[in-house]
Amino acid sequence: MSVILLKSVCKSYLSGDGRLHVLKQTDLDIKKADFAVVAGPSGSGKSTLLNLIGGLDRPDSGLIEIDGVELSRLTDSKQAAFRNQKIGFVFQSFHLIPVLTAAENVAWPLYIKGVNRKQRMLRARELLSNFGLATHIDKQPDKLSGGQCQRVAIARALACEPQIVLADEPTANLDHKTSVEIMDLLCSLNKESDVTFLFSTHDQMVASYAKRHLYLEDGKLIENAVDAHIDEGVGCV
Amino acid sequence: MFDLALLSLRNIFRNVRRSTITVLSIVIGFCALSSFGGFIDFTFEGLRETTIRTQLGHMQIYADGYWEKRISDPESVLIAKPQEIEEMLADLPGVSVITHRLSFSGLASVGNSTVNVSVIGIVPELEEDFADFETVVDGRNLRPGDTEVGVIGEHLQKGLGAKIGDWVTVMTSSVGGVINVIDFQVVGVVKTGSKEYDSVFVKIPIDLAQKAQETDKVERIIVLLDDTNELPKLLPQIEQRLAQLDRDFETRTWLELAGFYTAVVSLYTGIFNVFAIIVGVVVMFSVANTMTMAVFERTSEIGALRAIGAPRIMLVCMFLLEGLGIGLIGGLLGIATSYLISYVIDFLGGIPMPPPPGMSQGYQAYLSVTGNVLLKSFAVTLLASIVSSLYPAFFASRVQIIEALKKS
Ligand SMILES: Nc1ncnc2c1ncn2[C@@H]1O[C@H](COP(=O)(O)OP(=O)(O)OP(=O)(O)O)[C@@H](O)[C@H]1O
Ligand SMILES: [Mg+2]
Repeated sequence: MSVILLKSVCKSYLSGDGRLHVLKQTDLDIKKADFAVVAGPSGSGKSTLLNLIGGLDRPDSGLIEIDGVELSRLTDSKQAAFRNQKIGFVFQSFHLIPVLTAAENVAWPLYIKGVNRKQRMLRARELLSNFGLATHIDKQPDKLSGGQCQRVAIARALACEPQIVLADEPTANLDHKTSVEIMDLLCSLNKESDVTFLFSTHDQMVASYAKRHLYLEDGKLIENAVDAHIDEGVGCV
Repeated sequence: MFDLALLSLRNIFRNVRRSTITVLSIVIGFCALSSFGGFIDFTFEGLRETTIRTQLGHMQIYADGYWEKRISDPESVLIAKPQEIEEMLADLPGVSVITHRLSFSGLASVGNSTVNVSVIGIVPELEEDFADFETVVDGRNLRPGDTEVGVIGEHLQKGLGAKIGDWVTVMTSSVGGVINVIDFQVVGVVKTGSKEYDSVFVKIPIDLAQKAQETDKVERIIVLLDDTNELPKLLPQIEQRLAQLDRDFETRTWLELAGFYTAVVSLYTGIFNVFAIIVGVVVMFSVANTMTMAVFERTSEIGALRAIGAPRIMLVCMFLLEGLGIGLIGGLLGIATSYLISYVIDFLGGIPMPPPPGMSQGYQAYLSVTGNVLLKSFAVTLLASIVSSLYPAFFASRVQIIEALKKS
């Protein structure tokens, strides 16, 4: 069953001397519980693609269906609720709320959803403990390392038990060792649950974790294009 | 909502320096407003009590039709047997003094100088309280048992060139329209604070005034209460008792008679309102500046919150709560500081004030920082804080998510 379905999606930006067409009639079909990576040169449109799938931006034309729901049909507030319940976001620069503790950050999507305080704090603690952050639950992000912050962010992305987790270069701000830890974590999460993961990266090591490889070039997605570059042995398969 | 409020509160304390400056500007605005309000309330209160206790009493009783016919047919609107009424009201709890007066105008002369005067006949034993209105500059005030004596205003004394012990002749027309003359001996010179009043003021025992007017009636009965706040309760009781008599009366409260007081109150209230608007605008600028900076600084957080599904209204609430929080903190500190200021002024013995227009004496001003004044100041600063957060909050809720996320 398709969880992410794109048909002839076009997206362009107004740039200095005319339109810059980033996505040109792009198609994509990602099934439930997939673990997919989008690679591609800088400026190829990876972030643009993930933002469209996440409902953070709207395409010029084409169809985007997430879990059977056509995003363009949703009003702004419905889209927000949809993001809250169906999609988890992990960002390159974590984007945690600095004045909230780790647990409160994780609980915030549940607050938006309307879960009561006791239950959401319980869930936040449980997630953070599973991620090896039991002793950091009440710390604010500035007291945590980059890797710890990203784990908090992943916990936040999973708080509402989404269908999809979108991660735009989740390891770009982390060192090699921490990147491996983060990818191991995402990988194990994907194995344990049927959550669909779609992430973008520049890093071949990181890309090699994916079950499915997509390459974005000239506004088109090409399947398996980077397979040749992956060193065997690591990966989530 | 609690969590959102907590988030807003933490955000306020995030930039301590900026929040402190904003809160400080609110506190200053608050104190300016509450001090000014406290000062004018003190003035109102002082003016009210002076007006009541030295001139008007809390209420006055006249014969029916007095205000219509007092010029054309003064005799018909005098009150006969005032003692009957006074005895009837005296036992009402809360009534302090009941007295009566008879006033008329005439021409006073000493030797060759003749001056237009306004004569008031009083009962000296009942008007000791009212006599506080006048400061004796020479001689003494009227005393119980006085007969053919009087006190005159400071400026009148100069106009007449009279000394203590001099005899003054007053020519007037009686209620029957007959020209009549009385004489009294000056026993005191007083000043009332009002220059105009001081140049026509003559006070004599009521018996002498009744002789001049050839009547045994009085013009008005004056009722003084223990406490001004009791008036609304006592007025109907007094009117009810008056209704039991077979004569008709009119009553006037001090407020209806105190034209000067009402004018002062409306003038100062107007000034206060203008001042409140100015303070409100200043607070608005200060809070708007802080909130706008907060929104710009936290654009990426706004983007993140929106990405994880926060509806626009949550962002609006978040920033409104922040403005409200700043306003509340400023307001509460403002209340504390206002009390402090009023204590300090009490401690220093008040602020010396120059004589108000038309008055000849200055006074010591204090601040009466009452609930009313604090409430008004609080409302102004809080409202300004919320209103000025509206646009930044709205702006925050409209940011483009992906643009916001790009900012770090
Ligand atoms: N808001 C925008 N306005 C104009 N041009 C934009 C905008 N956002 C992105 N672009 C352009 O669109 C192209 C694709 O950008 P995008 O961020 O999706 O690339 P990317 O593959 O994520 O790059 P990177 O690997 O550097 O993150 C780039 O050339 C970029 O300059
Ligand atoms: Mg990118």
